[in-house]
Amino acid sequence: MKVKLKVKRTDPGTGETSYSRYQIDTVESTTLLDALIQVREYEDGTLALRCSCRSAICGSCAMRVDGRARLACRAKVIAITRGNQEHEITVEPMGNMPVIKDLVTDMELFWSKIRQVKPYLQPEGPEPEGEYRVPNEAMLDLTHTMNCIMCGACVSDCTVLEVDKNFIAPAALAKAYRFVGDPRDAHQVERLRQYSEYGGIWDCTRCNMCVEVCPKGVAPMNRILQLREMAIEAGITNNAGSRHTKIFTKSIEDGGRLNEVWMLPGSVGMFNVPRLVKEAPGALKMLRAGKLPLSQMIPPGAPGSHKISGMDRVKNVIRKSAALKPKKAEVVSDGA
Amino acid sequence: MALKYAFWPGCVSKGAAPELYVSTNRVAQALGIELVELDTATCTGAGVIQEQNPEMGDALNARTFAMAQQLGLPLMNICSTCQGIESMVQDKLAKHPDYLAKVNDILADEGLHYTPDLEIKNFLWVLVEDFGLDRLKSMVTRPLTGLKLGPFYGCYILRPSEILGMDEHPDRNKYLEMVIEAVGAEPVDYEGKKKCCGFPLLTINRDNSLKQAGNHIHEAQDLGADALVSPCPLCHLNLDAQQPAAKQVTHYNIDLPILHLPQMIGLAIGIEPKDMRLDHHVVSTKKLLSKLPAPAATASR
Amino acid sequence: MAVYEHDVLVIGAGLAGMRAALAAQQLGADVGMVSKVHPVRSHSNAAQGGINGPGLGEDGGPWEEHAFETTKASDYLGDQDAIEILAKEGGREVLQAEHWGVVFSRKPDGRMAVRRFGGMGKARTFFVGAITGQAILHVLYEQLLKPSVYQAMRTYEEWFVTSLIVDDGQCRGCVAMNIRTGELHAITAKATIICTGGLGRVYEPSTNALICTGDGIAMAYRAGAPIMDMEMVQIHPTTLKGSGVLITEGARGEGAYLLNKDGERFMSKYAPNLMELASRDVVSRAEQTEIDEGRGVDGCVFLDMRHLGEQLIKERLEEIYEIARDLVNIDITKELLPIQPGVHYIMGGIKTDVDGLSPMPGLYAAGEAACVSVHGANRVGANSLLDTLVFGRRAAEHAVPWLQGKKFRPIPESVVEKDRKMIAEIVDRPANGDRVAKIRRDMGLSMSENVGLFRSPDKLEKQKAILKELRARYEKVGVEDKGKVFNTDLLFHIELGFMLDCADMIVTSAIERKESRGAHTRLDYPNRDDEHWLKHIALQRQPDGTEKMFYIPVTITQFQPMERKY
Repeated sequence: MKVKLKVKRTDPGTGETSYSRYQIDTVESTTLLDALIQVREYEDGTLALRCSCRSAICGSCAMRVDGRARLACRAKVIAITRGNQEHEITVEPMGNMPVIKDLVTDMELFWSKIRQVKPYLQPEGPEPEGEYRVPNEAMLDLTHTMNCIMCGACVSDCTVLEVDKNFIAPAALAKAYRFVGDPRDAHQVERLRQYSEYGGIWDCTRCNMCVEVCPKGVAPMNRILQLREMAIEAGITNNAGSRHTKIFTKSIEDGGRLNEVWMLPGSVGMFNVPRLVKEAPGALKMLRAGKLPLSQMIPPGAPGSHKISGMDRVKNVIRKSAALKPKKAEVVSDGA
Repeated sequence: MALKYAFWPGCVSKGAAPELYVSTNRVAQALGIELVELDTATCTGAGVIQEQNPEMGDALNARTFAMAQQLGLPLMNICSTCQGIESMVQDKLAKHPDYLAKVNDILADEGLHYTPDLEIKNFLWVLVEDFGLDRLKSMVTRPLTGLKLGPFYGCYILRPSEILGMDEHPDRNKYLEMVIEAVGAEPVDYEGKKKCCGFPLLTINRDNSLKQAGNHIHEAQDLGADALVSPCPLCHLNLDAQQPAAKQVTHYNIDLPILHLPQMIGLAIGIEPKDMRLDHHVVSTKKLLSKLPAPAATASR
Repeated sequence: MAVYEHDVLVIGAGLAGMRAALAAQQLGADVGMVSKVHPVRSHSNAAQGGINGPGLGEDGGPWEEHAFETTKASDYLGDQDAIEILAKEGGREVLQAEHWGVVFSRKPDGRMAVRRFGGMGKARTFFVGAITGQAILHVLYEQLLKPSVYQAMRTYEEWFVTSLIVDDGQCRGCVAMNIRTGELHAITAKATIICTGGLGRVYEPSTNALICTGDGIAMAYRAGAPIMDMEMVQIHPTTLKGSGVLITEGARGEGAYLLNKDGERFMSKYAPNLMELASRDVVSRAEQTEIDEGRGVDGCVFLDMRHLGEQLIKERLEEIYEIARDLVNIDITKELLPIQPGVHYIMGGIKTDVDGLSPMPGLYAAGEAACVSVHGANRVGANSLLDTLVFGRRAAEHAVPWLQGKKFRPIPESVVEKDRKMIAEIVDRPANGDRVAKIRRDMGLSMSENVGLFRSPDKLEKQKAILKELRARYEKVGVEDKGKVFNTDLLFHIELGFMLDCADMIVTSAIERKESRGAHTRLDYPNRDDEHWLKHIALQRQPDGTEKMFYIPVTITQFQPMERKY
């Protein structure tokens, strides 16, 4: 099988970029990593890339393939090209990070974000003689998050990180969940408070990019959403993010539909004059364009607010859905 | 073949984006697609309810699904976000039959019941898969020749791909370009087309939200786009209504009209721009409309 | 004078390395840790099935049982004083790992769950799904990120060690290249702990990562430290054909069967008691025999996991499910998985005592790079993870008190000159049509062919000649990349040198041991010969450059050597 590659090169001295094209002959079951190694070993020894285990456990070989971050050792060439041997695969280094050389990036940004979330277990009290006794479901749940091999794919393609390097980014927040969700950690609320600050869980734009590119099914965004749920439950609600969730939910509970008008003041704070003033020109433009629904001028919950018909049935469903919530895992008991 | 769908219009098309509602109905009528609106269905949650209360979102969506099934019709939506949430809930309920049984217990109070075999499609998918591009082409009386349109998908109609039927329909992440070509225009290829518009962050981190929107608009405009077209009204809000604010935050000189998908179709099949409220956008569509080729003589709807 | 100085230098940041670094730091030493890859990229993360916890669980039996089974599995070549320590102190290490946060799988009562593993009659292997190594490695890394540790320790991430510094017969640290700049530096220390892992890439294919090139073993050898038991190369029973990727023994621990092409559970012929969970060397030989006698398919036999059920597989063997699906398109819940024996682990390594100390003062070793020996002629599965933690800690706990109050001569930075010249010479070599990759591949394939499961004198001698030829080619081959930054071409060249040294030692020892014991099977000496060969073979480079071979007796305490049956 023929494999055509177009690989982005970066000269480590000058920073100049270019593309090198390669064409090799190899077997059908080849992975992209196999192909790159073949290039490196037999065609062009100057090509630099990180790789080690070849079995998606060490996390070294994340790179952008046809525009999307992937683990090269898990990317079958034939799946990328869909069998079309003329398709030239574009291989580039991960995004959102400085490039050292060719496909090797400087991952310090990634590691510094991990350090930011205090990524070590913080138990409290005397250590048990034996193991901490915790339910298997809790461990299984965390194992999904532990599947993270720190490859960087999620950070590479995170759309928020592109515009704001302060965002803690998916991998670190997934790791944060691993501790908040661990019954043995004694600092859950403190952690949630830390993660609810600027740059944390509420700064995710919920685009699912990290879920899509994660090669190990960690689904970082889903972990972020779980953290949001837990933060609200823990009463950490003095931020725009949780206020936004509250007003949105209230809007549905009251009228069945989203009340766009009250989204803004409800989230940023009814008395957040500076922010409201900032939005005024935009709101006026919308009003002029006939896009501000007058039916929504009354806030959700107030008499006369906009409702769909049959709200009593909706309220019934909402009320009963509370019983669907799963129970939280706890430490069963300490000690042997 | 007559197409008929249970129609979930979403919250925004009945609120801040009435132009979408109007154009959808006009276009559906013109194409011969019958829509039965589910006016007692609720918001899908848009991922926001799911942050605090995923179970509430599951139950409300299952209710909407059951309503469609009660009518014996597949479900159509006109919003990428709705599609993403609906697919996610569908997937969850299909994988957890015990959980679904409990949800159905609640729905039984209204005589509703959901079985996991409902087809849920965004209008974009309906156009390509059910209606057919060839048929669409045959109905184009005013091909948008010479227009360069940038597709903007909206995250939730693309990701996560495993629950959005991409195994069965691997080209779903190309449909928007395909439809743009079918109506005679030229799709603009730019990196931002599959990225996030930033809408979910608007009230939480305004700068980041508007930078995202501004960057993508600027990129497409720089590459010669005359407009962007999107199947998601939430994206439309951030790209159109917030475009002046995005311009301020990014300092890019952006001025790019944003079309809803049905509006683009409508223009190509000869519907009058005013009838689709194209004069009710925040970013004016005048320049774009002036570039349109003259309508064919037989166009009259 | 050298710019970088530490009390303790740990070379390698896998499980053994990080455990040693943590322990040394906790004792107040100034620690430096060097690794040619980021710590979490270390090959410890590929260990899948579990870690033994002798005496921990209620049904695993007392630690003495584990000591016995480990000794028996080692075919009595293991040093029993070391094995006793492993068994006695192992449980405590597993608990420590759990307290640090490893997400061990649990039983319904909340206690850690166990599974069966090869060579052991009872279940005492604790696990995290099929990612135990990764889970523990990541938790150790987390512990190193605690601000008090992180700020106190220095990690030389992506620095490649080229040689050890020996001053006046003492090991004083290493010469290393900062991969990002290409510059060489001396990192000096009072005590050096080598934790560089194994040498699987000497063979092709193998389960090992591309970084497992025997660096530390070769460097210790070149520095004059004795290297022991190199003929003992473990061949794991279940690896994927072609790539050699590992399929954990844990699958068999959960009940998977081994079938030949006729659908028979052939292990009943070779190990009627423990069947698929017999000692690894026994199982590998059984499989190869089946294959050689025509009862395999395409050089493989089959792992049958269909009867385990989807839920168990998803919960406890998810990683295997994904590997099979993604690499060979097989759904193990419904289909048989073709596997074959593959090179996996080196029982041999740098000779150390039970405190990780080698005969060279200042030089310690732990983990796969060391040979204490706890594994003797064949390693029990899930003992390697245990080995790294127990002896990583012990090495640090011996080194730190040892270096207190002693005088250490400062080392001049000029000590890097030798390596600088060597590298310049390599870089300056003109292209000659040969390539490092070709030589490496020739070495790997010939080692697999001639020094594999079943060894014969003519093949061994043939391999000796091949290695000589390969070395001649190696002395002439150059590199394509002449740059300084991230020159992996150059690194592969240096690694090949290490691998050739290791390959030589393997062949020399295999020729010398004229018996069959554990993983070493001689077709011309098919039986174990305790009378003549109950001893370790050690190789040591002399100051004049020649190699001395000598024997080290096996320490026997409780268990007299018996016939080994499963």
